[in-house]
Amino acid sequence: MKEQTTNDDRFWTLSETEILQELKTTTTGLPEDEAHIRLEKHGYNELPREKLSWLQILIRQFMNPIYLILLASSVVAYFFGEFEQSIAIVSMIFLSAVLGFYNEYKAEKIVAALTERVSLKALVTRGGKTYDLSARELVPGDIVSVYIGDVIPADMRLIEAKDLQVDEATLTGESFPVDKISASLKLDHPTPQQITNHLFMGTVINHGSGKGVVTKTGKQTQFGAISWSLTRPHPPTDFQKGLTSYGNMILTFTVALAVGIFALNMLVGKPMIDALLFSLAIAIGLVPELMPAIVTICLSQGAGRMAEKQVIVKRLVSIEDFGTMDVLCTDKTGTLTEGKIILREYPSLRDVEDDRILTYGMLCNSAILNDKIIGNPMDVAIWDYALKAGKNELAKPYKRIDDVPFDYKRRLMSVVVENGGRTLLITKGAPESFTDKCALAEMNGEKLPFEQVKGEIKEKLTRYSGAGYRVLVIAYREIDKRPNYTPADETGLTMLGFLVFTDPPKEDANKAIARLKEMGVDVKILTGDNELVAKKICEDIDIQCRRIVTGSELMAMKPEELSQVVNETTVFARVTPDQKLAVIKALKANGKVVGYLGDGVNDAPSLYEADVGISVESGVDVAKEAADIVLLDKDLMVLANGIIEGRKIFDNTLKYILMGTSSNFGNMFSAAAASVFLPFLPMLPMQILFMNLLYDTANMTLPTDNVDDEYVMKPKKWDMNFVRKYTLFFGPFSSLYDFLTYGIMLFIFAASPSLFQSGWFVESFATEILVIFVIRTRKTPFYKSRPGKWLTVLTLSCLAIGVIVPFTPLGEFLGFTPLPPTYWLLLVLMVVTYLLLVDAGKVFFYKVCGYNW
Amino acid sequence: MLPYEELFSWWAATITTGIMFLIVVSSAIYYYRKRPASTKTDAPKVIRELAFVWALMALLILYLVSINLGSYLLFAAGNIVVEALLLIYVYIKR
Repeated sequence: MKEQTTNDDRFWTLSETEILQELKTTTTGLPEDEAHIRLEKHGYNELPREKLSWLQILIRQFMNPIYLILLASSVVAYFFGEFEQSIAIVSMIFLSAVLGFYNEYKAEKIVAALTERVSLKALVTRGGKTYDLSARELVPGDIVSVYIGDVIPADMRLIEAKDLQVDEATLTGESFPVDKISASLKLDHPTPQQITNHLFMGTVINHGSGKGVVTKTGKQTQFGAISWSLTRPHPPTDFQKGLTSYGNMILTFTVALAVGIFALNMLVGKPMIDALLFSLAIAIGLVPELMPAIVTICLSQGAGRMAEKQVIVKRLVSIEDFGTMDVLCTDKTGTLTEGKIILREYPSLRDVEDDRILTYGMLCNSAILNDKIIGNPMDVAIWDYALKAGKNELAKPYKRIDDVPFDYKRRLMSVVVENGGRTLLITKGAPESFTDKCALAEMNGEKLPFEQVKGEIKEKLTRYSGAGYRVLVIAYREIDKRPNYTPADETGLTMLGFLVFTDPPKEDANKAIARLKEMGVDVKILTGDNELVAKKICEDIDIQCRRIVTGSELMAMKPEELSQVVNETTVFARVTPDQKLAVIKALKANGKVVGYLGDGVNDAPSLYEADVGISVESGVDVAKEAADIVLLDKDLMVLANGIIEGRKIFDNTLKYILMGTSSNFGNMFSAAAASVFLPFLPMLPMQILFMNLLYDTANMTLPTDNVDDEYVMKPKKWDMNFVRKYTLFFGPFSSLYDFLTYGIMLFIFAASPSLFQSGWFVESFATEILVIFVIRTRKTPFYKSRPGKWLTVLTLSCLAIGVIVPFTPLGEFLGFTPLPPTYWLLLVLMVVTYLLLVDAGKVFFYKVCGYNW
Repeated sequence: MLPYEELFSWWAATITTGIMFLIVVSSAIYYYRKRPASTKTDAPKVIRELAFVWALMALLILYLVSINLGSYLLFAAGNIVVEALLLIYVYIKR
């Protein structure tokens, strides 16, 4: 796997002097004229935008075979004099195209949000002068100074760092701030998290200050690479690909059948104009003209229902993929976890909670307490805990005399406090920094030589880090009172205990994960955090961890290896945005419908690439913009509700497709066969179009239909092979009953052309419309599975119209004749046999043969 | 004498082709079924499972004969019998 551009230059391996030489600059900065030359060469330090004109975006909406067939049908309908039908078809296409147009415009907004985030000022040194400069004018080689709270304006290699800590969570997913240094690093294939002598555009200084030389600007930066990946067109969802493939199948069938009918009719000596009009009417009959409308209504209604459940759908077409999703990749921080570091416990060296540890943690603390507590997340977490537990008063009796601030080399901070005539030096910091600072260790109130218990303490620390916790040590000693103190005083300390921090899982995360598992969704974690932290979260929320793969391991993998690894891996740790993207692409290439749940800048490309990008309301704007779906409720259970809704919509759309491809195809096929041997047309073009109109009207209520409970318990993928088999098997049933009607009309009723057409119209329409109730479920219709109220009402109403029409003036206008009473008796028998035969066919197809979608 | 007698052979050929096509498709989807096949040959089971195909054949004969005779009474009675058989099949198999 190829890593980002940063790795190509290996700037992290160079010393401070070497990097300046490499970039042909000095500590006093670039001369102004050289900076201008470089600006011309490298361009502005801004994020790339490849603008598509609105016309290009609009035209792209029509590049879909179904739309092309529909457009052709509307033209044909217009020439048949069916103006209303022509307008209705065009309106449906227009509605769907507007929807697609709106969705593509979203990509533009995402980039705008990214651009806004990095429109900053930078403190630059050029020609020996230091001044504020618009960040967009920065060039490689510029020297930039950064301080606490600054957003990094470009990718930089540090040449100076003082107690520098950076929050890279939005870029890398790492929950804890990262310590930065200026020294060179000997690393072969580092992930961005490991390149601790670099600062990355868009990240934020959490502590300390530094000076760096700009190495990359604009789209060359890590942040820019993310933005660039969002400018490409949104990849089609699995559902869209399915619809396209369905459209292609319809197109092939329609063209073949229309050409075949025309040729055969000509061969048997029918007039050319009649043959042409009839074959075109058959083509229109085959076209699923309601498809865009059904899909749009299904999706819009689903989006409305999901909004009631606090799930906002931004890209409608993603709802169906939400239902078919079988793999959910999720970021950890802020999605599965609260995304906030908390103090979990403060045990003594004997594992007993000791309030002195918490008190000393509050005292030896750099957080600023105003309306809101601000500062280093771990210092903030200590105060948060104390305030919530009502233990903040414990620090009150102490008076702070002096402090020895944190610095990176010591990785310690100390304060000197006074209480009741005792002066104490309290030191807090990373465990490894205490190795030579402690002389004693306090256990159960007894002070033991540190060397004696060192092994035991090390074991405890290993246990904590193995469990994915971050630990700080608290130590103290009595000290003389004097005006000031230095790091040299941090010696001969007594180790008291630990402050243990964690980013806790969301309260409902394990329930939500269990529910997803029940519903056949495999959950995978893709995180910038280390493998221990990721493993811990798996344990906390009951994800069975089959395999953990790190970013470094991914980097060394060949594509075919990656393709296999993604299926069997549960946790991808220390992964970059590029690697997350590669994992999602590999899963998609393996035929999975992939959802991605994330909330940071680093998640944006994955959110955009996944079939369903899901973000949370607390996520950064870029993530929310890139997502298809935003969860407003922190409760992850809404995910399961959304999936059920998506599956219902998928099922209702599928019903339309399966009915269309079976009964419609059957009818049109029998019409085609009859046109060849009958001395007259089996149905007039106008009658075919009228039947289509009635049938489509009934189908408009399909989005409101009920869906069987067991159907929503498993993800369903688009399966064209199933559609073909289904059409091949169920299509002939309707042809069979059409042929039977021909026989009855010709040989029992000696029907005139008009009577024949009336008889076939009523039979064909009755079977076509009533089979909706059989096909819509795999169970016994009505008895075990009830259709939706509106579907029942409208279907029966349309059936009534179809049955009555031959007796009305409209029927006369359409060329129908009233049918004899005996025919109605035979019709009822035929329709009942047909429906039972299709139901038996269903049992044979699903139960006996085991075909399933 | 049947009305449109000259069309009967056309019609009979069409409906026979339709039913035969359905029988072939049914047999093919049964042959390639997704359910695990039994390891030993179980002829009666195959016959039972393909009852649906036998029903189709019965329908073909019923339709050809009743319409050839121009008898809607035979047609109606035959349909009722087939409906009963299909209901039994669905009840047992489902």
